[in-house]
Amino acid sequence: MDWTEMDWAEAFPRRRSMPWRTLDTEALVVDVKSGLLYPLNSVGARIWELCDGARSVDDIVGVVAGEFAAPEATIRADTVEFIERLADAKLVSVERRRKGESR
Amino acid sequence: MAEGAPCIEVAGFVFRVTGLAAPDRAWVAERFAPFVSRRVPTVTVAVAATERYRRGRVARPLATWRNGHFSLASHPSRATGDLAGRRVRFRVGPGPALNPDLFRMLCGLLLARAGGVLLHASAVVVRGRAWVFSGPSGSGKTTIAQLAGIRPVLNDETIALRPGPRAYSAHATPFYGSGGPGMARANRRAPLGGLCFLRKAERFSHRRLSPAETVARAFPEVMLPKRDPRVAAELLGALAALAERTPAYELAFAPRAELWEYLDGLD
Repeated sequence: MDWTEMDWAEAFPRRRSMPWRTLDTEALVVDVKSGLLYPLNSVGARIWELCDGARSVDDIVGVVAGEFAAPEATIRADTVEFIERLADAKLVSVERRRKGESR
Repeated sequence: MAEGAPCIEVAGFVFRVTGLAAPDRAWVAERFAPFVSRRVPTVTVAVAATERYRRGRVARPLATWRNGHFSLASHPSRATGDLAGRRVRFRVGPGPALNPDLFRMLCGLLLARAGGVLLHASAVVVRGRAWVFSGPSGSGKTTIAQLAGIRPVLNDETIALRPGPRAYSAHATPFYGSGGPGMARANRRAPLGGLCFLRKAERFSHRRLSPAETVARAFPEVMLPKRDPRVAAELLGALAALAERTPAYELAFAPRAELWEYLDGLD
């Protein structure tokens, strides 16, 4: 999927059919369609937790920037790339909002 | 009790297998001989031959459960069951009277419900504790079992892990691999000493795994289809609990008997 037009105001909620759990600071996500398990490191696990459908990409970047010691530009680039990969793997869905629509 | 119905014990579950004709009872008793039990059965497996066997596309193995009822499929056989009633119905097509793949799947499902797992692994008992060696086909599970020497081998292909009040136990199963029936010659169990995820190498080395890494390595090796969300969630929980209580390692090994000396030195 071409993400060059990703809108940072969009939300990418976790697909509800995905069993997952955290262990220490890491997360383990099962894609039941493929039977594959995706291990996520501490940053990936935090982003996964924040993909709750109520937060936009901008919101998630803001939270992660406040919790991890790195320049915001780096965090934004890494977060966007990670969410793109989650979407490509169909672990999150895309929730497009019309202009002016509030959460 | 159905006359002559054989009882087979795997990892603490005692299966009474009914509905078999005499030749099939004899086959089951021979195939599963080391696991035949006189203990009180905990699950009744009623076997029925399908009336029609349709050729065609072979469906993928499947395990599902909902509201206490489950269904399993391993072509050409199917099973449905009721966990509360402890009754399972096998519908078998051509082939063995008690389809070993379906039976193994049933064991895996019951283990998962009991907080355990059925793992694609071999296991060897060393000084009273079981070392479990897991990995995909070709990673060396049977090789390690064949290096055991006088040490008891639980199995070269399929190991049941069950939680106990103080520790996990590793159980032999009747589901052997390329090592043949000799790899499942006794229904033994031993306290679980550690888990090793294998890769073949020229020299020995190891790395301790975190609980999350352990779950990630073990999940593909659990011998149960994982496409049902409830089954997958149950397995995640069982593996997480196992990983938090059991030392686990990535183990690179050379196929030499020095393996046992090397394992003695693991932290």
